[in-house]
Amino acid sequence: MNELVLLARRSVREIARYPESTIPALFIPLFFLAVNVGQVSKTFPSTTPFLRGQGYVAFQLPVSLMFAVATAGSGLALVTEIDLGYFDKLLAAPIRRSSIILGRLAADLVRGVLGATVVLVAGLAFGAHMQSGVLGAVVLVLLSACFGVGYAGFAILVALRTRNVQATNTSFLLFFPLLFLTPNFVPFDRLTPLMETLARINPVSYVIDGLRSLVIEGWNWDKLGYCTAVIVGLIAILTSLSLRAIANYDR
Amino acid sequence: MQEVSDGPAIETRSLRRTFKGGVEAVRGVDLTVARGEVFGFLGPNGAGKTTMVRMLCTLLPPSGGSATVAGIDVEGDPAQVRRRIGVALQEIGLDPVQSGRELLELQCGLYGIPGGRARTRATELLELVGLSDAADRRTKTYSGGMKRRLDLASALVHSPEVLFLDEPTTGLDPSSRRTIWEEVRRINEAGTTVFLTTQYLEEADRLCDRLAIIDAGAIVAEGTPQRLKAEMGHDVVTLALDGADAEATEAAVAGLAGLERVAAEPDGLVLYVEDGAGSIAEIVRLLEAGGIRVGAITVSRPSLDDVFLQATGRRLEGAKEEVTA
Repeated sequence: MNELVLLARRSVREIARYPESTIPALFIPLFFLAVNVGQVSKTFPSTTPFLRGQGYVAFQLPVSLMFAVATAGSGLALVTEIDLGYFDKLLAAPIRRSSIILGRLAADLVRGVLGATVVLVAGLAFGAHMQSGVLGAVVLVLLSACFGVGYAGFAILVALRTRNVQATNTSFLLFFPLLFLTPNFVPFDRLTPLMETLARINPVSYVIDGLRSLVIEGWNWDKLGYCTAVIVGLIAILTSLSLRAIANYDR
Repeated sequence: MQEVSDGPAIETRSLRRTFKGGVEAVRGVDLTVARGEVFGFLGPNGAGKTTMVRMLCTLLPPSGGSATVAGIDVEGDPAQVRRRIGVALQEIGLDPVQSGRELLELQCGLYGIPGGRARTRATELLELVGLSDAADRRTKTYSGGMKRRLDLASALVHSPEVLFLDEPTTGLDPSSRRTIWEEVRRINEAGTTVFLTTQYLEEADRLCDRLAIIDAGAIVAEGTPQRLKAEMGHDVVTLALDGADAEATEAAVAGLAGLERVAAEPDGLVLYVEDGAGSIAEIVRLLEAGGIRVGAITVSRPSLDDVFLQATGRRLEGAKEEVTA
């Protein structure tokens, strides 16, 4: 456990010392939030039924939150470490290999909380209102950060499998279709039949729906339940695959 | 220092490693390294040195054979092996985000040395490798020599029984190289067995108690540097051609008494003879008789490069570029 704390602390220190690798990643979600809201606010005024009296910014906020937390930061840090040889140093130390991954994921949780908080504050500044209150805002940030942890497991997996900086850096491209085949712009029932079918089989849709419910509806336990289940499943699957990849690294 | 186990520091039997695609990097190596030795593994790039080190450090599983380090089987109990070894690999293993002190303190923590003791140990080691002044700077600002010294210090946090150094001076300037050599000697005098790979003949000659020459994954010679050279059984006479024709010169000295072999080099001829000093007058006479003028004639005892040449049929790559410290 001690080694896990030490490695997590090191990774968090890395975030603090390299703000240039975290801050630009927040530009895209904030840009999307501003542009999307600016473009369709007239199309979807607050009288639109699915907005429940809020501006379109409230509807878009969860999508931006997911963009903010889904970064390949940990995967990139890991693949850089492999390149520099420090990864071998860690593998040669008498520690569990899993600690190297879990230490990184702990830092991703911190990174996710920071990123989600910044985007949430921006969303609130643009006029969104948290229907679930302050506690809902905390849950929103934590669920978003946990989604980021799940996604980080994917980037770490790519890093360990490919040992290639470019492949790891572009791993987010695989995430793009998953984020857009969702009710990201309008609810499920406003999508075309084909898009609705695709969105309903895409688990990421339920994360967006759950996060959105905290902003627009309040405490919708069904939606939150699905959202949490998808995030937990994502973390379980991708972290397991990452742990297996590091256990089999050079084996 | 942990309790020292019995038996040799390192022992391998028919150790093999074959990579995907059938590349045999290490082919049945038998090796015994006694405790307290500085043992050198000398060979060119791609000879299998790093693969050997990675297997002994538990970073790579062998494809066959067996290996024990500090008396422990590397495959049977790799975690126990890791507690007893220090590792400084060819790629300097430093985290650029941390300072030298932070890196050593973290390394102490990973080896179970708690906070207060970790801080003291880090300070000791920084002093040992002459990095006290740079202790709180991030390692990315360090020079190559400083990085190598910090890497070495990080391999020593837990006072390992066996220290593995994979090409510890490659890419360093002569001064940094000399500093590393001094540190390796000091570490060894404190009781640590050192297993060192190198492609530098002088490093192997000066630093190692014993060495093995590895070529294409197999050991081709093994012994103390002195014995390996003595076993050559002849002296080396080098003729600097200075414009003289190589073939004509070789033909002129072909009848030299005690001549065992002639090797051509880009700028000279190397004669392996029984008695170098005693042959000089005869060589001069033969060259004069053939009407050949050479630049200089020098006599030397065989070097490890000559040993390498005899064992493999070629000179060690890069030997001519070696920098004398």
